[in-house]
Amino acid sequence: MAYSFPEEVLEHVFSFLNTDRDRNTVSLVNKSWYEIERWCRRRIFIGNCYSISPNAMIRRFPEVRSVEIKGKPHFADFNLVPEGWGGYVYPWISAMARAYPWLEEIRLKRMVVSDESLELISKEFKNFKVLVLSSCEGFSTDGLATIAANCRNLRELDLRESEVDDLSGHWLSHFPDTFTSLESLNISCLSSEVSFSALERLVSRCPNLRSLRLNRAVPLEKLSNLLRRAPQLVEFGTGAYFAEPRPDVLPNLVAAFSGCKKLKALSGFWDVVPAYLPAVHSVCSGITSLNFSYAPIPSHDLVNVVIQCPKLQRLWVLDSIEDSGLDDVATFCKDLEELRVFPSDPFGAEANVSLTERGLVSVSEGCPKLQSVLYFCRQMSNAALAAIALNRPNLIRFRLCIIEPQAPDYQTLEPLDVGFGAIVEQCKELRRLSLSGLLTDHVFEYIGTHGKKLEMLSIAFAGNSDSGLHHVLSGCERLRKLEIRDSPFGDRALLANAAKLETMRSLWMSSCSVSFGACKLLGQKLPRLNVEVIDERGTPDSRSESCPVEKLYIYRTVVGPRFDMPDFVQTMDLDAPIRLS
Amino acid sequence: MSTKSQEKQLITLKSWDEEEFVVEESVAVKSETIKNIIEDCGLELIPLPNVDGKTLAKVIEYCTKHSTGSNDDSEDLKKFDDEFLDSKEIPVLIDIVLAANYLNIESLVEKICTKIADRIKDMSVEEVREAFKIENDFTPEEEKKIRNEHAWAFE
Repeated sequence: MAYSFPEEVLEHVFSFLNTDRDRNTVSLVNKSWYEIERWCRRRIFIGNCYSISPNAMIRRFPEVRSVEIKGKPHFADFNLVPEGWGGYVYPWISAMARAYPWLEEIRLKRMVVSDESLELISKEFKNFKVLVLSSCEGFSTDGLATIAANCRNLRELDLRESEVDDLSGHWLSHFPDTFTSLESLNISCLSSEVSFSALERLVSRCPNLRSLRLNRAVPLEKLSNLLRRAPQLVEFGTGAYFAEPRPDVLPNLVAAFSGCKKLKALSGFWDVVPAYLPAVHSVCSGITSLNFSYAPIPSHDLVNVVIQCPKLQRLWVLDSIEDSGLDDVATFCKDLEELRVFPSDPFGAEANVSLTERGLVSVSEGCPKLQSVLYFCRQMSNAALAAIALNRPNLIRFRLCIIEPQAPDYQTLEPLDVGFGAIVEQCKELRRLSLSGLLTDHVFEYIGTHGKKLEMLSIAFAGNSDSGLHHVLSGCERLRKLEIRDSPFGDRALLANAAKLETMRSLWMSSCSVSFGACKLLGQKLPRLNVEVIDERGTPDSRSESCPVEKLYIYRTVVGPRFDMPDFVQTMDLDAPIRLS
Repeated sequence: MSTKSQEKQLITLKSWDEEEFVVEESVAVKSETIKNIIEDCGLELIPLPNVDGKTLAKVIEYCTKHSTGSNDDSEDLKKFDDEFLDSKEIPVLIDIVLAANYLNIESLVEKICTKIADRIKDMSVEEVREAFKIENDFTPEEEKKIRNEHAWAFE
């Protein structure tokens, strides 16, 4: 006997299912559940904006309140995706403006967002609450002004790492005096000075403000005023952390910070004067997240703060912390889950600080909860990697960036195959891996054999032949995103594993050896993939079949080729031969 | 209308399969439906054609526990709720939630919906169909198309 569930009871059950996976599961049970579910799904995540069209999303899910969309591939962060490639959000915004008048949240990553889009958002969604623009570009402070002026119920405005055409800081003054709902503001990527009095008044009248990340232009002297008006802050990003030496600077800061009893996260600290760092000591005991990645200060000054944070879970820091500083982290920060060490002088020929593989080994030994690593350094050894693997089999994300491409094990001069092999073999829950250093096809054999939970893999200047790529494509069952640059992988592995590409979100290959002919073949064989050849070098017509393409981006899609491509991007499909004439 | 007496007012609830349960009025009115019937009609024997005896017994168990006067947030009550619900298989939970929905016992409906959702979280599509005794009425092509759409666009 089937249960005749009243719709509202089933809907109520569904309201407790919050992951895409669970929602997708229940929608497949039968047609009736599919119908009920699609009318009550409120959050949508689109991992690739070209995998589906706005209208297809709207047709299936008519009552959405929150949308998250990603655009350009990850290698765009390294300037490998040419300007004008795509990722425009406007078609999404304009379609949703008609269909979702009650939309509350938009989160975008690596998308091109115009001022028109921002204006549309500000005017069409009456209950708009959350705007997060992560690594986006294409808009100016004029667009921000429309958001400030029109979004009466805005709770969150987060511009993390976006590239904004910063015309003036005046946009902040567009928040009306009646506006009091702000909970989170992140303007750290902006360079202009915002009107400080407008900022102060805004902070004063928003009692629920829990996260405030200022930009560099906010001077240190102004910090105390702000913190005194917002003692409820949980996350705070300073501006430039320097001031002319005056006797009242430090005492004012100390008093201001000590009033913020709920602070858990600190960031900012541009141009930091170490003498003023002790001002944060009073909040250190509660701090779980520290971002010092803009603070190239001596190790002992960093360490003086870090060792006072026993609850630290996330630490982002420059390599000026050095091995000795990381030893201290390993000793004092037993709750550490995520470590990111960035290079203070990435283009320098020689090491400017004493940060080597030893620092990472030390943290892997001392921090039992360490799950996530991003580490820039100048030397590495297989022994160190093996030690890290043995110490920390619970690693989930491991991204190692040895600055010099193809650098071997500095002790044995061997490739680092065995070291990375140890990482994939020991760390059975590893989901994300970035490789660097001298690597042969062997490392890919290890990865294909052991990387069974690997979802994202980044490869640069590695491998010898197509077998390398073949091991990865045939072995890594859960692979979703693969990005490769400057590696000798060509047609054979790609064509032999063509079907695999339909099980992944995307594949990026640049400066490899994939021929134009192979791309056309892939496009014909797998019509449900978009095989995009990106080539800025000249006319496609003159290209011969055997010519290697500059860049290749392949992704699965339910809607076929896109129509917003610039002339240096071509989608290989069934018409490809005809289109060339 | 019955006259108020010093004794607690008793109500008889009768399931569709003729089982009768005598309960205090204060327990019975945890159900908004029953409360309205009592207020509107003053009945002392209330037939409930949409609920079977086994399920009604369990609903009464819940309502009895929740009318002891103690705070709904108390540790004891939470413990009771968890044990009461965790020990039951999905088909039983479904029976209870349907009854609770018909009887309009909001807190019980809410709690069961949460529990059912928790169980669904670990299930595959086939397991959900089995637990809810639902036939798949998608054609293989239709199902494949939706699965692709999920994996390719919505995950």
